[in-house]
Amino acid sequence: MDFRLGPKADEVRREIRTWLAANFSEEDRRRAHEDGGGHDWDLYRKLAAEGWVSAGWPVEMGGGGRDPYEILTLYWELCKAGFPWIGLLNNGFIGHTLMAMGTDHHREHFVPRIASGEIAFALGYSEPGSGSDVASCRTMATRDGDDWRINGQKMWTTTGHTAQYIFMLTRTATLDRPHKGLTVFLVPTDAEGVDVQPVHTMGGERSNAVYLSNVPVSDSARVGEVDKGWSVVRFALGLEQAMGYADLQERFLEDARRWALAEQADGGLPFDDPRVREQLGQTAIHTEVARLLRHRSTWLSAESRPLGGKGAMTKSFSGSSYLEDAQAWTQLVGSAGLLAEGEDGAVAGGAFEEAFRQTPVNTIYGGTVEILRSLVAEVELQLPKSR
Amino acid sequence: MDLSLDESQQILVDTFAELLEQECPVSLVRECEKTGFSEALWSQYREMGANVMGLPESVDGLGMGLLELGLVAQRSGRVLAPVPFVETAVAGRLLAAIAPGDPLVARIAAGEAIVSLALPRPHAVTGTGSGRTGRALVPFGAVADAVVGIDAEGLFVAEDAGKRRGPRLRDAGSGALAWWSLQRGEGAAPRALATGDEARRAMARASAEWKLLTGFWLVGLAQRALEIGADYARERIQFGVPIGGFQAIAHPLAECAIRVDGAELLAQEAAWAEAEEPDRFEGLCSMAFAWAAQTALRTADVSLHTHGGYGFSEEYDIQLYYRRAAAVPGVAGGAREELQRVAELCLAPERAALGGA
Ligand SMILES: Cc1cc2nc3c(=O)[nH]c(=O)nc-3n(C[C@H](O)[C@H](O)[C@H](O)COP(=O)(O)OP(=O)(O)OC[C@H]3O[C@@H](n4cnc5c(N)ncnc54)[C@H](O)[C@@H]3O)c2cc1C
Repeated sequence: MDFRLGPKADEVRREIRTWLAANFSEEDRRRAHEDGGGHDWDLYRKLAAEGWVSAGWPVEMGGGGRDPYEILTLYWELCKAGFPWIGLLNNGFIGHTLMAMGTDHHREHFVPRIASGEIAFALGYSEPGSGSDVASCRTMATRDGDDWRINGQKMWTTTGHTAQYIFMLTRTATLDRPHKGLTVFLVPTDAEGVDVQPVHTMGGERSNAVYLSNVPVSDSARVGEVDKGWSVVRFALGLEQAMGYADLQERFLEDARRWALAEQADGGLPFDDPRVREQLGQTAIHTEVARLLRHRSTWLSAESRPLGGKGAMTKSFSGSSYLEDAQAWTQLVGSAGLLAEGEDGAVAGGAFEEAFRQTPVNTIYGGTVEILRSLVAEVELQLPKSR
Repeated sequence: MDLSLDESQQILVDTFAELLEQECPVSLVRECEKTGFSEALWSQYREMGANVMGLPESVDGLGMGLLELGLVAQRSGRVLAPVPFVETAVAGRLLAAIAPGDPLVARIAAGEAIVSLALPRPHAVTGTGSGRTGRALVPFGAVADAVVGIDAEGLFVAEDAGKRRGPRLRDAGSGALAWWSLQRGEGAAPRALATGDEARRAMARASAEWKLLTGFWLVGLAQRALEIGADYARERIQFGVPIGGFQAIAHPLAECAIRVDGAELLAQEAAWAEAEEPDRFEGLCSMAFAWAAQTALRTADVSLHTHGGYGFSEEYDIQLYYRRAAAVPGVAGGAREELQRVAELCLAPERAALGGA
């Protein structure tokens, strides 16, 4: 056995840390944090100029041909540093999906422009009436000559206000066979009839509601066959679920550790309190297990072995253990733990306060833990379908 | 990165799987409920060389690494094998490293002695460790011929079982626990092995290895407990359908499946770290132990409740797993106690007292 990510990943870690030190200041971090939109064009284009946006795509497609361990490390370091990376993540998924399932037109017209940092995509699956049951989508695409018109509403379209396109799931046939009548389009956000409105969250992340009235979309923007969009979405969603938040958990653990080992005003160390040590131990274990599960998902895909329910395991464990830790710390550190970053007397630079507000969403987006556990029960334990 | 076992490791696993399927059916575990130990099974283990696997080749051992020993411990935990495989392996490695000429090493190699350990960390709440009271609750102490321990004077091995060994105690896990008196003034004088830092380092190392191998054992227990629960959930019909179709049954089992996979990876990583990341080794052993203990109890609990009332009856096997899931790690203080060690070893090693004294 070998638990190392390997020398190429170590090299990426060095490179990206150097790049961050030179290009991502504390002021940038604060601005990204306050904005909450998850994407910053200036920073993003600098990253693209270094080839990082397409680093994981095959060389034949103009990508960097980096292996899955290198990409894991890239995301890990950016995320831990507080870099606004959601745009990067989405574009990585969409780039892969277009290369695997798109047309020549998509590969020529969109893929290189994603790689160069010119354009970005938001993910448009969820709707007001359709969340976990993604396939119950009701946003309609109807024929308009050779092209299409889209009507309906999307919800939770994160980065929809900064992206030029939405990778959008629509309904092209009646609802009686929900999975059969779905089609995916690349919908320009500047098209006539598209209205993007902000949705703010308690975690500070900003998302969007997108209203679509009679939006004209060319047939060349269709991904996959008509009525066969479900397999396209399944492919893109699979890429998303194998990750989890171990990088954020690691940062949270480092914050908690730093606080516990720093002398307080009364001269004592929080670390000397057995309750603090116990909670640190638990947080450290959760972080290590989340990291190992993520490394396993990565190893399986690097070896082209079947992922089974192991991607869902990764995200489910990471999301729920991080939430559990954030809540446990909140109850341990009292009111000072609920003071925000920068406030007089704030504990751990506000890390506990922020984690308390931010972590609930990790068990919700990209598939709720309930949905993921059903998947694990079916695939890994062969229990009857329960959804 | 490579998360697969190599060919010889896989052969080792398969060999023990086959042996244990034949020689350690659950009926044997039940027969041993009043002793916690099977002489017959232990002699099968010895025939397979299990007593010498961990000993270096220089003392006629097989020189296997901790991962290999862990794989055997894991198979043993799956079937709740009532044998002191972990204790003998750890005590043997400790003795061979620090006192290779000690007569006990040869007796372990010959399969003539069972040696266990008095784990050094006094429990913060109940105070049952050798450090505080001069006597220790020893795993497989009721059948041990000798016990390795540590006190203020150093590392020692105590024999004279006739005087020092108490009777087998009934505990929640139907083990072979016994008190050993480790007072220096009583019985034949214990044999000194090392003093000072050398003694503390050796004992810290041995406790880490015991925790790691017991962690593997508990991973095996949890994997089997999960299978028992999932099998029952597929077969038991209520309201006209298999109960595994109810999310209140399926989701807790799924959550256990995730945690059990994590526990297996963590134990494997710790074993790998012995040679590859030695600075993290003891901390990872502590993590592997604490997480395996938490996971084994949770999994056995979920599986037991999957059985409804039948899970509570003696007739069903899951109760055997539930009881051992808490009792086996309890010898080292249990999971909550261990979390503090994790914090010390992994996050503030400069503050972690050597030997856990
Ligand atoms: C900050 C944020 C950003 C997001 N970004 C995006 C994005 O960029 N693009 C996008 O498309 N979506 C995005 N989402 C949407 C997210 O994927 C959905 O919120 C999520 O899939 C759950 O859907 P829902 O909110 O409609 O809840 P519902 O599906 O209504 O679920 C409500 C509750 O019921 C449970 N439940 C539902 N069905 C079952 C079942 N069969 N069995 C058991 N329990 C069940 C759920 O687990 C949940 O607890 C985002 C969400 C948030 C909060």
